[in-house]
Amino acid sequence: MAKRITIDPITRIEGHLRIDVEVENNAVSNAWASCTMWRGIEKILRGRDPRDAWLFTQRFCGVCTTVHAMASVRSVEDALKLEIPLNAQYIRNLILIAHALHDHIVHFYQLSALDWVDVLQIPKADPGAASKLAETLSPWTGNSRNELKAAQDRVNAVANSGQLGIFANGYWGHPAMRLSPEVNLLAFSHYIQALEYQRKALQVVGILGSKTPHIQNLTVGGVANAIDLDSQAALGMEKLEMIRTLLAEVAQFVQQVYFVDVCAVAAMYPEWFKIGSGVKNYLAVPDLPLDSRGSAYDLPGGYIRNADLAGVKGFQTAADPIFRQSVTEDVVHAYYQGEKPLHPWVGETEPAFTGWESEQKYSWVKAPRFNGEPMQVGPLAQVLIGYSQGHALTRKYTDLAIEKVAAIGGVRATPAALHSTLGRHAARAIRACMLAELAQKHWQLLVDNIAKGDYTVHNKPVLPSHEVQGVGTHEAPRGTLSHWIVIKDEKIKNYQAVVPSTWNASPRDHAGAHGPYEASLLNTPLARPEEPLEVLRTVHSFDPCMACACHAFDPSGRKITTAKIL
Amino acid sequence: MKSILIGGMGNVLLGDDAVGPYVIQLLESQYTFGDDVELADLGTPALDLTHRIAGRRAVILVDCIASEDHPPGTVLIYDKSDLLTAIPTQRLDPHSPALSECLLTAEMLGASPEQVLLVGAVGESFEPGQSLSLAVRESLGKITSAIVGELKRLGIPAERRHLPAEPVFWWTDDAPAAVSADHR
Repeated sequence: MAKRITIDPITRIEGHLRIDVEVENNAVSNAWASCTMWRGIEKILRGRDPRDAWLFTQRFCGVCTTVHAMASVRSVEDALKLEIPLNAQYIRNLILIAHALHDHIVHFYQLSALDWVDVLQIPKADPGAASKLAETLSPWTGNSRNELKAAQDRVNAVANSGQLGIFANGYWGHPAMRLSPEVNLLAFSHYIQALEYQRKALQVVGILGSKTPHIQNLTVGGVANAIDLDSQAALGMEKLEMIRTLLAEVAQFVQQVYFVDVCAVAAMYPEWFKIGSGVKNYLAVPDLPLDSRGSAYDLPGGYIRNADLAGVKGFQTAADPIFRQSVTEDVVHAYYQGEKPLHPWVGETEPAFTGWESEQKYSWVKAPRFNGEPMQVGPLAQVLIGYSQGHALTRKYTDLAIEKVAAIGGVRATPAALHSTLGRHAARAIRACMLAELAQKHWQLLVDNIAKGDYTVHNKPVLPSHEVQGVGTHEAPRGTLSHWIVIKDEKIKNYQAVVPSTWNASPRDHAGAHGPYEASLLNTPLARPEEPLEVLRTVHSFDPCMACACHAFDPSGRKITTAKIL
Repeated sequence: MKSILIGGMGNVLLGDDAVGPYVIQLLESQYTFGDDVELADLGTPALDLTHRIAGRRAVILVDCIASEDHPPGTVLIYDKSDLLTAIPTQRLDPHSPALSECLLTAEMLGASPEQVLLVGAVGESFEPGQSLSLAVRESLGKITSAIVGELKRLGIPAERRHLPAEPVFWWTDDAPAAVSADHR
């Protein structure tokens, strides 16, 4: 008889993720991913001026503010067929890169590293030995014995206080934890350093966007940054130099620390290259446009079906005709009214709450499908799609990762081994290295363009009186984000956001096909089913974020019982 | 970095959850503060809140509170020791590290503010697109007084403006296009 385990950490008033698994013979035999709160925020946008939509959409989520702002202005620009000045493209690209670097660093260290790193082993470590080991792995200068001793002291202070404080509620001492005390210490020292580099990446967003967490510099048709090289108030050389320095520091951390740590974890847990694959259909959109029309990009997009890397299909543009036609959302297992899968332009969001029913409706997340099939999105999709199209930058860092893992652990992974839990972590680190390099390129493109005397940042939008439709996409940290807008009489007639975590956390569809989280959990071995660390490893590898996938409160009338503060 | 932060937390699109940002707009329009005070609409921050609070002398946060023990509109105040007693749960997504975790992280780094105060109002409705409920609206005076009182206790000047400015609640239907007009 299968045993049901529910992981439902209620911590926020916003929607959150719930995972249910059935366990038989110490392995997952069935899985359900669900979101516990209602997604209906798009309805607020109906009737509003499309030029204001981004201000509202960037409030969908407190973590991914900029990505929803960006996808929103792009959706209106697509509907109006509006070109974007080069300066505006580069400034937007720099914001998107800095946001993504911040997000990937936070994800690995603060949200998932402690699935692999046992903090309570750290007091046993020898900081000198850890420092020597680090020298063999990376040229990073922050691995001195003193630095590592200081990190160890912080753990000791918390452990000796009698309360675990920030480390309460980890699966410490779990049999699936396998790193030596020294490696645990190294990783934890980087956990602390990561806090500093996230802040630096955010500072770049703040300088260009004038505020964080909610940027102020966007506008339909471009950006609102005034460019004046001699001014301290406008975007001038002083701010540009500050941005260059910050990006260089973050790039160094990503390439010398984050990338290396992911390779080391992969080398020491190689069995996780065989666990957690799930849905092997992948989707990514092109991003980081290089011209004003959006006909060339630094990140390639496309799709792969059934792990057939050789059969990859590319997208020419960020709003490619194939992408525009192929997306639908299915609500058979989601708490919404409706029978047939609907295209987002005619999408509806009318609630039909029933309670959690494993064979019926069980989630507030809709099930997006591409040509009727579930798709995995995120850095892994992007890396596999880029690699199989021969994209040089993707190949460079993917090959480097394979070499590094082999050098540390003797295991030579292939791109095919990336269909896995570790593959998702590796792909995110690969993508972070690519973005760190591209940050410097786009900074230079911006400065060179300004040096030519081009100060243009904005093309004025003109709203037509007839009905128009648009899709704005962004290859966000968690994958393909698309905002779909219908504009009529200069007002928003319909608006739907199909977000990365909706693709990945989607419930089953009318054909019974699992969503990517669900499929990835099947057959996962559990050492101690009552402490399902292995489930968390795989779910975390997707970098789940449900706040934008769904919002607001339980319409059954029950008050939200858990405050964010208490 | 300014040594005092007054931060409003919450989602402006979700009814009473907007009370934090709402109070920040009220304070900005009705008071002048010392140079060492930063007012900020923090939205719904996750772990980045650590960077906002670490290294400050005092932090005052305003948020909406979900409670079954108190009626909507009740103003509740929590100090640092109250907030530190909350135990972090498993982090399933980036929203899980909430205020207590950020505070615990700042503690671990040895950069926790000396004074932390959370002033909250118990919410009634979290419907998308709605503005504040009457119950929460009626608590606004108490919340601002509590904040000004705390600043006084800390020796920080907070003076009422002779001519209050018009607060900008751009997200409510009363003023749908107030903010981005200058972006067009």
